[in-house]
Amino acid sequence: MAACGISSATSLIYKLIEREEQPVSKDISQEHAEVSRSPDDTAALKRDAGFNFRGLSITLIRFGIVGGFLLLWQIASGRWIEPFLISSPSRIFASMITGFQSGDLLQHTWVTFSEIAIGFPLGALTGIALGYWFGRSRVLAEIFEPIIIALNGIPRTALAPLFIVWLGIGIWSKVGVVFLLTFFLNFFNTYTGMRQMDQEYVDLARLMRVRGLKLTFRVILPAISPYVFTGLRTSIPFSVIGAIVGEFIAATEGVGFFIRLSAGIFRTADVFVGIIILMCMVIIMDKIAGMVEKRVLRWQTQSEHVGVQG
Amino acid sequence: MSSVEATQQTESQPGDNPVIRVEAVSKLFRTPGEGVIRALQEISLDIRYGEFVTVVGPSGCGKSTLIKLIAGFSAVSAGRIFFEADEVRGLNTRVGYVPQESKLFPWLTVEENVGFGLDSKRFPRAERERQVNYFIKLAGLTGFEKYYPAQLSGGMSKRASIMRALAYEPPVILMDEPFGPLDAQTRMVLQDELLKIWEQKRQTIVFVTHDLVEAVALADRVVVMTHRPGKIKDIIEVPMARPRNIFEIHRQKGFDEAYGRLWNIFRHELNLQTH
Repeated sequence: MAACGISSATSLIYKLIEREEQPVSKDISQEHAEVSRSPDDTAALKRDAGFNFRGLSITLIRFGIVGGFLLLWQIASGRWIEPFLISSPSRIFASMITGFQSGDLLQHTWVTFSEIAIGFPLGALTGIALGYWFGRSRVLAEIFEPIIIALNGIPRTALAPLFIVWLGIGIWSKVGVVFLLTFFLNFFNTYTGMRQMDQEYVDLARLMRVRGLKLTFRVILPAISPYVFTGLRTSIPFSVIGAIVGEFIAATEGVGFFIRLSAGIFRTADVFVGIIILMCMVIIMDKIAGMVEKRVLRWQTQSEHVGVQG
Repeated sequence: MSSVEATQQTESQPGDNPVIRVEAVSKLFRTPGEGVIRALQEISLDIRYGEFVTVVGPSGCGKSTLIKLIAGFSAVSAGRIFFEADEVRGLNTRVGYVPQESKLFPWLTVEENVGFGLDSKRFPRAERERQVNYFIKLAGLTGFEKYYPAQLSGGMSKRASIMRALAYEPPVILMDEPFGPLDAQTRMVLQDELLKIWEQKRQTIVFVTHDLVEAVALADRVVVMTHRPGKIKDIIEVPMARPRNIFEIHRQKGFDEAYGRLWNIFRHELNLQTH
């Protein structure tokens, strides 16, 4: 019965997706840019954007799916499956409350957050700067490109134990792993952006005697900014992975440590609490990055995301 | 006719020396497959101060290549190009360039694009603002200063692109089929605007096109190029009076004669291609 419900839900989703394929009046501005907008037009535009049945039904279906899943989980736990294996939404919720009340969880969260808050910006900035620099200098690129590609071939989380050896079991080893994961993704995306960039923009600017900082900040960086943002946004979940992997290996605090500890003593609910915290971190960071991106790339009609991953 | 031209030239210039001298220039391109393409062969051409020169030829004749070489985007394979007394090596920052597509910087507004080449030394803040406003008004883009290029129509971004090159007042402006992709009406309007602006400013313009009517309508001289390898077949003087009326250019005295001569030359080039 449940399977039947799921399949009808998926077919509904497919229908919605199919409709999505049709362009939804995307470039109104382009066609009518020269026509000044009369009050009538504005009203028409409003009517268009007015009650959105499609948007509402999508939201409802989404909530239905998540709610249904949680309900099924709650029912299954203790009836069909051992609670210590899968816990249950109510237990997880209760654990989270007690965890945060005692302050423990807050401390773990703070530690993991600090590791990311230091490692991520450092890694991102270094990656972007080096990607830009390599993109500007053909010689540098020729020398280092094969080396970087080879380094990129290393499964980077495999380096985490080394960082523990070098930097100890405190936060700095985790900062190192976060840095490493963030760096490569940002470096490769920025460097790809530099190579894909339309050189004619640079030529035109230089023809207008624009050089140095103005060339970098008014021409090149904006030109590659879609790539830079792709790098930033793909590296966000990886920075969290970096911190957690480091904490799994050796740590005395942090969400990763908390998850491993809880799993070791079969406190499954706490494991899920840890996972939820990490999920929230990623979502919040991505939301912030998304907002910045929207602001910086407001000149694009639609954000065309270029998919390059390192 | 040439005496009229001379009096209208406002810039100070050294005698009769050309502003641009192209001397026996050839350009070869290496291709991975075929080996070598001869784009230009032994081109020699003088362009005088304040002159409006159009370059026509069948597609692929290297006319765009020629002005790219003058701009210094790439190096000549043989021969030399002089700007005033200096040989062009590397980017020639004394020319303005209007590319085939508008190539406005999409991340800058219309205003910022038009003002892009105005450096702070020659144009302090107030002067700069005045200059930008003047050219935006000239292009009929008033009210669109804060728009991004993606929000403009083809004709509007073309105008803005031309203004970007005009605004910082380079002595020579190179235009690479700027009106190519536009519809016939927009194109005529823009030709008209360009001529009006040019009649005020009298900068030197080298204008590449494949449209014979456009070539004659705009130019003081039309340079006709042959099919690849591009050579100069002939240079036609267009002794039509200025200011010209683009919209009724056919009725203007001298048009038929110049166009006829151009067509006669060009016809052979087309025959070469149709087999």
